Amino acid sequence: MAVSHDLRTFKNAAWLGWQMEANWTDPFVFATYSIVKPLAGSLILVFMYIVITGGETQTPFFSYMFIGNAFYMFVAEVLFGVTWVIHDDREHYMTLKQVYIAPIKFYTYVFGRAAIKIAITTVGVLITLAFGVIWLGVEIDLGAVDWLVFIPALLIGLLTILIMGLALGGVTFLTAKHGMGINEGIAGVFYVLSGVIFPITVLPGWAQTISHLLPVTYWMEALRRGLSPDLMASLPGSTGLSDFSNLEILLTLALSTVAFLFISTAIFRYADRTARRKGKIDWTTSY
Amino acid sequence: MTDTWLVTNLRAIRGRAYPRVIGSKRELSWLFFDITLPLLTVSAYAYIYKYIQAPDEFVGFVILGGAMTAFWLNILWMMASQLYWEKEIGNLQLYLIAPISRMSILAGMAVGGLFMTAIRASATMVIGVLLFGIVLSFAQPVMLILIFVVTMISLYGMGMMFASLYLLLGREAYHLSNLLTEPVYLASGLYFPVKALGFWAAAGASIIPITLGLDALRQLFYPGSGAEYGFLSVNTELAILAVLCVAFLWLSKYSLDYMEKLGKTTGRLTLRWQ
Amino acid sequence: MQSAVEVKGLTRVFEPKKKKEGKSVTALNKVDLRIARGELFGLLGPNGAGKTTLLKILSTLLLPTAGKAFVAGFDVEKDFTEVRKRINMVSGGEISGYGLLTVKENLWMFTQFYGMKSSVAKQRIDEMLAQFGLADKKDEKVRTLSTGQRQKMNVIRGFVTDPEIIFLDEPTLGLDVNASRVIREFIVDWVQAKDNRTVLLTTHYMMEADQLCDRIAIIDDGRILACDTPENLKKLVKMNRTLKLDVTSLKDTSKFGSLTGVEQFTFQDDAEKDQTHLKFILTDDSAVTEIISEVQSKGARILSLQKTEPTLEDVFIKMVGKGFE
Repeated sequence: MAVSHDLRTFKNAAWLGWQMEANWTDPFVFATYSIVKPLAGSLILVFMYIVITGGETQTPFFSYMFIGNAFYMFVAEVLFGVTWVIHDDREHYMTLKQVYIAPIKFYTYVFGRAAIKIAITTVGVLITLAFGVIWLGVEIDLGAVDWLVFIPALLIGLLTILIMGLALGGVTFLTAKHGMGINEGIAGVFYVLSGVIFPITVLPGWAQTISHLLPVTYWMEALRRGLSPDLMASLPGSTGLSDFSNLEILLTLALSTVAFLFISTAIFRYADRTARRKGKIDWTTSY
Repeated sequence: MTDTWLVTNLRAIRGRAYPRVIGSKRELSWLFFDITLPLLTVSAYAYIYKYIQAPDEFVGFVILGGAMTAFWLNILWMMASQLYWEKEIGNLQLYLIAPISRMSILAGMAVGGLFMTAIRASATMVIGVLLFGIVLSFAQPVMLILIFVVTMISLYGMGMMFASLYLLLGREAYHLSNLLTEPVYLASGLYFPVKALGFWAAAGASIIPITLGLDALRQLFYPGSGAEYGFLSVNTELAILAVLCVAFLWLSKYSLDYMEKLGKTTGRLTLRWQ
Repeated sequence: MQSAVEVKGLTRVFEPKKKKEGKSVTALNKVDLRIARGELFGLLGPNGAGKTTLLKILSTLLLPTAGKAFVAGFDVEKDFTEVRKRINMVSGGEISGYGLLTVKENLWMFTQFYGMKSSVAKQRIDEMLAQFGLADKKDEKVRTLSTGQRQKMNVIRGFVTDPEIIFLDEPTLGLDVNASRVIREFIVDWVQAKDNRTVLLTTHYMMEADQLCDRIAIIDDGRILACDTPENLKKLVKMNRTLKLDVTSLKDTSKFGSLTGVEQFTFQDDAEKDQTHLKFILTDDSAVTEIISEVQSKGARILSLQKTEPTLEDVFIKMVGKGFE
C-alpha cells in the first residue's frame, strides 16, 4: 500500500513537473529551448579554448573538458530543479504548505519533480555530445564504449545527485529569496573541485583533498572512462584518480553515494524540523 | 513638469529601492550564497585558462566577466520578472493606482538591485584579484567610471523594458529568463573576448549592453590588450553604449505604457495566475 | 457640489483570450450611478455581480468598453493621473507589501508612492497605528501579523495618504467581530471628519451595509437594480410588518381593528395564564403608539412586545431573486 501510494505521489509530482517545464509553450519552441540552453553553455568553453589554441579542438583535453561539461548539466539542472521546486511552490504559487500537509512523503514529491528534470536534461546532454562528436571532433566511439563501466556509473551518479538535491531542498526551506544562490553555488563547488572541465591536479593541494571526498569527482572520472576509454589513456599527465582501477572508482562512487544518502537525509530532516519550528514552511520573503 | 512632480517621483524611487537595500541587510544569508559561491564558477574558468596556459590577462578577463554576470542575473531574476511577481503578490495594482510615473517604480527596483549587485560584483572582483593575484590598471579612472555608469544605465534600461514584456508573457517569463542565461553569457563574451565570435556575431551581441561595456572595461583594465583582443575602440564602444542608454530608456517607457494600456483594455493587468 | 463619482452608461465586456476559449462576459451593463461628496456609499451584490469590475474602472486599473466614469470630476480614462492623486483603495484579504519589511516600513514605502514627506508620513503612520491598536507591532515583520492585524495595516495603508475618495473592496472579509468593528468605526469617523471625504464600499455583509452606508446600490449581473438609502430600500419590500403583544387579560378589544395604520387584527385569550395575545399587521409604524395607548386605557399591562420589519436581506432577495451564495 505504502509503496503504491509513494509511486502515485512520484508519478503525480513528475506530471506536475512536466506541466510546469513544458506546458507553457508549443512543442517546437520547447524543443528549441531545450537545445539552445545546453549548447550555449558548452560553446562558452569551446570559444574559451579556441581563443587560446587558435581553433584546434581535436585534442584529448578538449574532449575531456567537453564530455565533463556535458554531463555536468545533470548536476546543475537537478540541483537547481530541486531547490527551485521548494522556492517556487513556497514563494510564488504559495502551494508548498498544501503539498507539505498532504499525507504523502514530501521527499517522494521532490524526487518526482526532479525525475522529470533528469529526463529533460538527458535530451540536452545527448544533443550536446552529438554536436561535439559531429562538429568538434570530440572523441566518443560507440563501438569502444565500456558499457559495464558507463551504465552503472551513470545510474549511481544520477542517484547521488538526486540525494544531494534533497539536502539542498531542505536548506531552501530555511533561506530567503536569494537562497536561489544555493543552486548556483553548490553546483559551482562541484564544477571547480570535481574535475569536471579540468583535472583536479591543477588545484592547490588542500582543494584536491576536498575533491577526493566528493562523489561527483569519481562520477566524472568513471563516466569518461566508460564513454571514451582511449581518451583517458591518451590524456597527458594524471587526472588525480589515475591510480584507481575502474572497479575501485565505481565502488568509491557507490560508497560515497551511501554516505551522502545518510548526510542528505539528516540535513533534510533537520531543515524540515527547523522550518516547522520557526514557521518557515509558508512564509514569503519577497522584496 | 514641476518640482513637485519630480520630488514625488524621487520619493517613489526611494520607496521602492528601500526593500531591496534593507532586504540585503536583513537576510545576511545572501552574503554567503551570492558572493562566495558564484566565485566558484569564475574560479573554474580561471583554472581552465591556467591549465591551457593562456596569457595572464585571461584570468582577469574571466573575473571581470564573473562580476558582470551578477548584473545580468539581477536583470533577469530581479528586474525582468519582478513586475510579474508583484502582480502575483498584489502589489502591482497598488503601484498602478498611485499618482506617480510607473518608471519610478522600475527605477526604484533598479537602484535597489544595482546597489545589492554592485556589492556582489565588487566582492567577486576583490576576492578574484586576491585569489588569483591578477593586476589591474587604473590608468584611466574617469573613462572606467564613465563606461561602467553608461553600461549600467543601458543595462538596467533594458531590464526595465523586459519587466513590461515579461508581464505580458506571464508564466513563460521564468523560462525566458532561463533561456537568456547561458546564451547571453556566450554571446556577450563574459568569459572570453567577444571578438572571438567574429565581427558580425559580436556586432549583433552588442545590443546587450554588457557586451561592449565588458569589452571596454577589459581594454581599460589591461592597457595594450585592446589591439589583440578588443572588439572596437573604447571610444566607439562608449558612443554606442550612450546610444543604447537612450534607446533602452525610451523603449522601457514605451513598453511600459503599452503594457499598461493593453492590460487595462484586456483586464488582465491585475488578475493573478495569467 | 461636484460629485465624487459619476458613472454614465458604463459597460465592460471581457473577451476571452482566444475566441475558442469561451464566450465574452458582460461584467457591467450600462451602469448609471452618482455618488455625492461626503457620502458613505455601499455596493451590494452577489459574487460576479460586477462590483470589483466597477471599482477597478473607478480606480483607473481597467478601461470601460463603453460609457463614461468620472472620479472627483475627472475622466478615469483620460485624466487618470488627476484621479490617482485623489484616491486610494483597500481590498479584503490583501497580501500586499513585502514580508521582509516591518509594519511601519511597509506603510512608509507606500506613502512614498504618493510623494508624502517622510517625516509627515512617519508621524501619521504612528498615529494611525496607535488608533488601530497596532502601536506595539510597528517594528514587527509583516509576515508575523495575524489576519486581522494585517488587514488593519492594509486599511491604514489606504487611508494614510489622506485620499478624497477611497474604494473599499470587502474590507472586513474574513475578520473577527472585534477587528471588523474597529475598521467599521474608523471608516464612519473618517468620512464624517471632513466634508469632502467619500467612501465607496463593496460588501457581502448586509448588516455592515445597513449600519454604515448613507446609500446603497444593489447590483447583479452587471446592472444596478436599486439605489437608495437603506430605509427607503426596505420600503420597496411589500412585506408585512407585524406587531405581537402579550398583555394581561383584556376584555374589550373592539377598537383595535379600526385604529389608523392597522390592516389586520387578531387576538387569542389564554385563560390558563390569564393573558391575551394580540397580533397586528401594520401598514404604518405610527400605529404602534396608538395600540399601546389603547392597551393602557383598558387597564391592561404589556407583558411582552415583538415587532418584525423587512431587512436589507429581504430587499436583496426580492431584487436579485436569491441570497448570497
